[in-house]
Amino acid sequence: MTVADTCLHPYPGGDSSLRRMAIEARELGFDTIVVPVATPHIASGVRVIPAAIIDGENIRAVSSRLRKVTDRNSLVMVNAGENGFNRAVMNLKGVHVLRNLSLTRKRSFDHICARLALERGIAVDIDLYPVIHTAGTSRQRILVRYGELISLHSRYPFPMTISSNARSVLDLRSVDEIILLCSLFGMAEDDVHAALSTAGDLLAPSGPVTVVS
Amino acid sequence: MKPLPPTLRTKKRYILAGIEPPGAASDQKELYRAISGAVTSLFGDVRAAAIGPAVISSGPDYVIVRCTRSGERDLRIALSFVTAVGNENIVLRPKATSGTLHALRKRIPLAPPSEPGHPEEVYFGGKIYIARRYQGQKVDLIEKGIKSQELLFLTQDDLEEL
Repeated sequence: MTVADTCLHPYPGGDSSLRRMAIEARELGFDTIVVPVATPHIASGVRVIPAAIIDGENIRAVSSRLRKVTDRNSLVMVNAGENGFNRAVMNLKGVHVLRNLSLTRKRSFDHICARLALERGIAVDIDLYPVIHTAGTSRQRILVRYGELISLHSRYPFPMTISSNARSVLDLRSVDEIILLCSLFGMAEDDVHAALSTAGDLLAPSGPVTVVS
Repeated sequence: MKPLPPTLRTKKRYILAGIEPPGAASDQKELYRAISGAVTSLFGDVRAAAIGPAVISSGPDYVIVRCTRSGERDLRIALSFVTAVGNENIVLRPKATSGTLHALRKRIPLAPPSEPGHPEEVYFGGKIYIARRYQGQKVDLIEKGIKSQELLFLTQDDLEEL
């Protein structure tokens, strides 16, 4: 089973090289990492999955950028926005992950988005960086948002991913630490393991066998 | 004075955590303030008082923290929230929990954190860094200067490719 950190930012985006991050990730219990602007390869025994992060103001801009992503080996991640935007993103073909929900307003991801995510097999990313690096009301708001996501997930079991969004090896957390961190907003250990294994399945979803020739 | 019988004493738990990068958190008081601050920020004063975190001992690459029994899970969570001690960015990685210090001290890493040798100067990205090598592939680069020194985390292969 894959154990993946769904978003890392190595040098020059951060202060750690990709190889160093791969070594640290392996020591912390991961076998896969997802890295924007990378090529698919194995670094220090860890599978590196490239990601295309799309940040658009409106759905037309996202759709346009989505067409430019031609690499089928890339995990396509779209930054979330308002409720209508998120619903529209769910209907786009080729989107794998909806991310940055912690930055959006309340009710931007509702039960309709959850049902669409379940039907379309689009994962919702839980970013642990703001949980760790904020404090006070900001952290409380994020914990509430993630708690709402977990309650929606219990009704509509859409795929989830977990990312550290680490820009340094010091931002990486081990699998055990992630289980403890996720318990703060009510995520069960089994759900954490399932979420950590999602990234590997998103590029090769299971489905009916098709005859090629 | 007659000592309190063991059955009436508050049960304690001890957590061993690794410090990365090694040597970054040398001041034990600063380390305590960071851990205590993380516990209070996350769980509030009431729970922090119940957990009662205390730094028992520390070295360049490890710290042993004490708490009350039943508080070890919350303390392990809070340790993940410690991101800086003083002006140094660090991470504390919980490694083991035990009811006795004796059992925990056996698990303290004995290997020196860095290989002995003279500090080596490296040019990277137009700046001069001092390389600190560890066992295996890991190399930390510390920018040469007096203050606001940049820290980079690379590998031996990355340096050889320069």
